[in-house]
Amino acid sequence: MFAILLDGIVQGLQLSLMAVGITLIFGLGGVLNLAHGQIAVVGGIVTALCIGEGLNPVLACAMGVLGSGVLGLLMDRTLLVPAYRLAGEERLLLGLLVTLGLSFVVNGFLDVRYPTVALTLRLPTPSFALGEVTVRTASAVVALIALAAFGLLFAFLKLTLLGKVVRSIMQNEVGAGLCGINPARIRTLIVVLSAMMAGLAGVVQGLFSSLGTELGNEFTSFALIVAVIGGVRSVNGTLVAGILLGIVNAFASFYVGAYLTLLILLVTAAGTILVRPQGLFAFRT
Amino acid sequence: MRIVSERTALAATAVVLALVPLALGGSPHFLRIATLMLIGMAYAVAFNIIFGHTRQLFLCLGALAGASAYVSVVLTMKAGLSPWLTMPLGVALAAALGGAFSYVSVRRGLGVIFVGIVTLVFSMIFHNLVLGLREWTNGETGLETKGLGPAVLAGGLPAYYAILGVLAASALVYHALMRSRAGRAFQAIADDEFAAELAGINVTAYKVLAATVGSAILGVVGVVHAYYGGFISPTIYALGSIDIVALVTLLLGGMGTLLGPVLGGVLFTLLDELVRPLGRLNVMVYGILIIVLVITFRHGFVAMLRKRLKIHLP
Repeated sequence: MFAILLDGIVQGLQLSLMAVGITLIFGLGGVLNLAHGQIAVVGGIVTALCIGEGLNPVLACAMGVLGSGVLGLLMDRTLLVPAYRLAGEERLLLGLLVTLGLSFVVNGFLDVRYPTVALTLRLPTPSFALGEVTVRTASAVVALIALAAFGLLFAFLKLTLLGKVVRSIMQNEVGAGLCGINPARIRTLIVVLSAMMAGLAGVVQGLFSSLGTELGNEFTSFALIVAVIGGVRSVNGTLVAGILLGIVNAFASFYVGAYLTLLILLVTAAGTILVRPQGLFAFRT
Repeated sequence: MRIVSERTALAATAVVLALVPLALGGSPHFLRIATLMLIGMAYAVAFNIIFGHTRQLFLCLGALAGASAYVSVVLTMKAGLSPWLTMPLGVALAAALGGAFSYVSVRRGLGVIFVGIVTLVFSMIFHNLVLGLREWTNGETGLETKGLGPAVLAGGLPAYYAILGVLAASALVYHALMRSRAGRAFQAIADDEFAAELAGINVTAYKVLAATVGSAILGVVGVVHAYYGGFISPTIYALGSIDIVALVTLLLGGMGTLLGPVLGGVLFTLLDELVRPLGRLNVMVYGILIIVLVITFRHGFVAMLRKRLKIHLP
C-alpha cells in the first residue's frame, strides 16, 4: 500500500517536472508549447549519445539537460519571435501551430537520424530497504532530483528579485513593462529554464525504464493535461496535479491493469478540469 | 472593389470541383487522392463552423467522426442492419456528443485552451476505447468496410460525385447558417463574447448550435470516409490524421471564410503529395512547411487573394 503510494508520488513528480515548463512558458509567454515532450526526448537522446561516446554518465546527463536548454533557446529566439509580436488569442494560436510544427520536425529528425537510440540508465544498487518497505533506488533518486529541482525553482521565484520580476510578468505583462522590466529577456530565460526541466524529466525517464524517440507525443499530451489541471498559470498547482495523477495512475495500475488505468486517468483529468476549470490553485504562483 | 456573392462562389467552386475528374484523365490513383481531398475539405468546413466562427477549439474532430463511423460500421456488421439506418445513428451520436461538450464548456466558462484540453482528453479516451473493445472494433487492426456501405460509395467516379455532394451540402449548410440570424450572432460572439451576451444574444444557445451542426457534419463525413476508405482503424481517425489536417487546411485557406476550407484543401493536398516521395523524411519536411506557412501565410489564401486581386471573396 505504502509502496504503491510512494511509486505514485515519484511518477507524479516526474510528470510535474515535465509539465511545469508548459505552465511557466504559458504564464510568461502566452504560448502553449506543443513541442515540450520533444524537448524532453532530445535531452534524453543527447544523454544516450554522450554515454555512447564514452562520457561519464553524470556528465552525459548534464549535457542532455543542456541540450534541451539549447533547443529551448533556439525555439524562443527564432520560431516564437513572430508569435511574440502578436497578443492574446492570436499569439496563442500562432504559438500553438509553430510549436506543433517544431514537434513534427524533431520527431521526424530523430526518427530518421537516430531511430534505434534509446536511453537506459542503470544504478549500481537496484533497491534498498527503508523500514519494512523496499524502495527502488531509481525511484528515490528521481524523487530527490525532482524535489531538488522544484525546491530551486520555488526558491528562485519566491526569494530572488529576478523571481519576483518573473511573477510580475505572469500577473500582468503590460504592468511589468511599465515598471521598466524587459519581458522579452525574462521570457528567454524562463523558456530555457523550462526546456532544461523538461530535459531533466526526459533523462529521468531513462532511470525508470527506457526513453526512446517515439515518446515525445505521449510526454506532450500528459504534460499538457497536468499543466491544465494545475491551472496553466500556477506552478504549485502543476506540482500537486502531477502528484495527484501519479498516485491515481499507480493505484489504478496496481488494482485494475494498464488499459483501464489510462481511461481512469483521462476521466480524472477531464473531471478535474470540469469541476475546477480555473485550476487547482488558481491565481497563485 | 468587385464583390463576388457567396452563391456565385459556391456555384463556381462546385463546377470546378465537378470537372476535376476530367482533368485527371481517368487515373484511379489520382481520383482517390482527389476524393480524399474532398473529405478533408468537408472536415475543414465543420471545423470552420466550430472554431472559425465561435472559437471553440475542438481537438476531437477525429474522435467525433470516428465515433459516428464505428457506430455505423459495427452495427451494420454485427447486427446486420442496413447502412442507411445506422448512418443516421452515428451522425446523431456525433452531434449529441459535440453539443454536450459545447454546453458543458460554455456552462463551466472554459477558455479556449481548456476546451482544447477537455476535447483532447476525449480524443484519447475514444482512441483507447476503440483499442480496448477489441471484440467489436478489432483493436488496432481495424475493420474492413468493403461491400458493407451504400454501393455508390464503393469507389470510382460515383463515389467522387457522391462525396462532392456531401461537401456541397455541408457548404450550403454553412452558407445558410451564416446568412441567418445565427450567423450574425456568431460574428458578435467571435468579436466579443461578453458584449454579445450584454446585447441580448443567447451565447450558450448559439455556441451549442454551432458545435452541434459542426459535429453533425463531422459525423456524416466520418461515416462516408469509413465506407469510401474500405476499412477503419483508430489511426484513420487519430488526432494527427484528422484534427491537425483540418486545422492546417483551415489556416492555409483562411479561417471564417466560405472558400477557405476548399482552397486550403487544395493547397494541403498539393503539399502532401509534394512531401510524400521523400519517404521517411516527410514528417520533418511537413513540420518545416507548417512552420514556414503559418509564419508567412497566417491570414490564409482567401485573404491574400482579396488583397492581391482586389475582389471581395466570400
